[in-house]
Amino acid sequence: MKWLAKTIARERRALERARRRFVCKPNEKRLHDVRTTGRRFLSLLQDVATLTHCERLRRRVKRGAAATDSARDATIIVRLLESSLDPGEAEIARPLLEQLREQEKLATQGARRKLRRMRFVS
Amino acid sequence: MKPERIDLAGVDDVGELVARVVQKRLSEAHTLATGLQRRDAQGLHDFRIACKRLRYALERFKRLEPSLEQVADGLALLQDALGEAHDRDVLLRILPPTMAATKRRLRIEREQSVDRAVALWNEADRSIEGSTLTKPQ
Repeated sequence: MKWLAKTIARERRALERARRRFVCKPNEKRLHDVRTTGRRFLSLLQDVATLTHCERLRRRVKRGAAATDSARDATIIVRLLESSLDPGEAEIARPLLEQLREQEKLATQGARRKLRRMRFVS
Repeated sequence: MKPERIDLAGVDDVGELVARVVQKRLSEAHTLATGLQRRDAQGLHDFRIACKRLRYALERFKRLEPSLEQVADGLALLQDALGEAHDRDVLLRILPPTMAATKRRLRIEREQSVDRAVALWNEADRSIEGSTLTKPQ
């Protein structure tokens, strides 16, 4: 099916572009982009798994998307805590926020390290 | 939650492919919508993931079938609401008991997000009922 082959190739290239951008300069927006592009592509490969023979690619894309989980979780939690914090509890929250920001930094570096080694197009 | 495999054996037409994928992902979302009624963290999470898969499929296929766009837009709003509830569930799990006021605020926001998700799902469900998605192909 020509449409399917074209769609897979297009989404594959989009993921590779997003991966390269994130590896080159990791930030919150690029993390979001590589994550959502990967999730979308994974969803396509799962939808058409019985029609295509992309099992190895599917596993690689799944690993790529999973590599961003911790970084995304840490980023979201830090932003949410900063915006929902009761002013009276700011002092209690300070060590937790510091710990979460450190986690966010390490998780983003970890995601970059993992994604640097992956390739989605040859 | 793993997605169900979709039997596409013998499918050589894009229209048939779209119909089978959308019907399967729609049926998964309907099955997991019970999580929205229970309002528990795991149930909401599973339902959110099912809606995400359905939305991705609809967005991908809307170029081929423009009537899918409206449902996809509704699901995007639903996903925002479910995502906000999920983020609050994650944060609530790690906050210490000494942060009672922040926890109270997060719980209120979480319930408001779930209420919004219920309304958006009902709306999306009505829109799905009226669309070509539930009509036999």
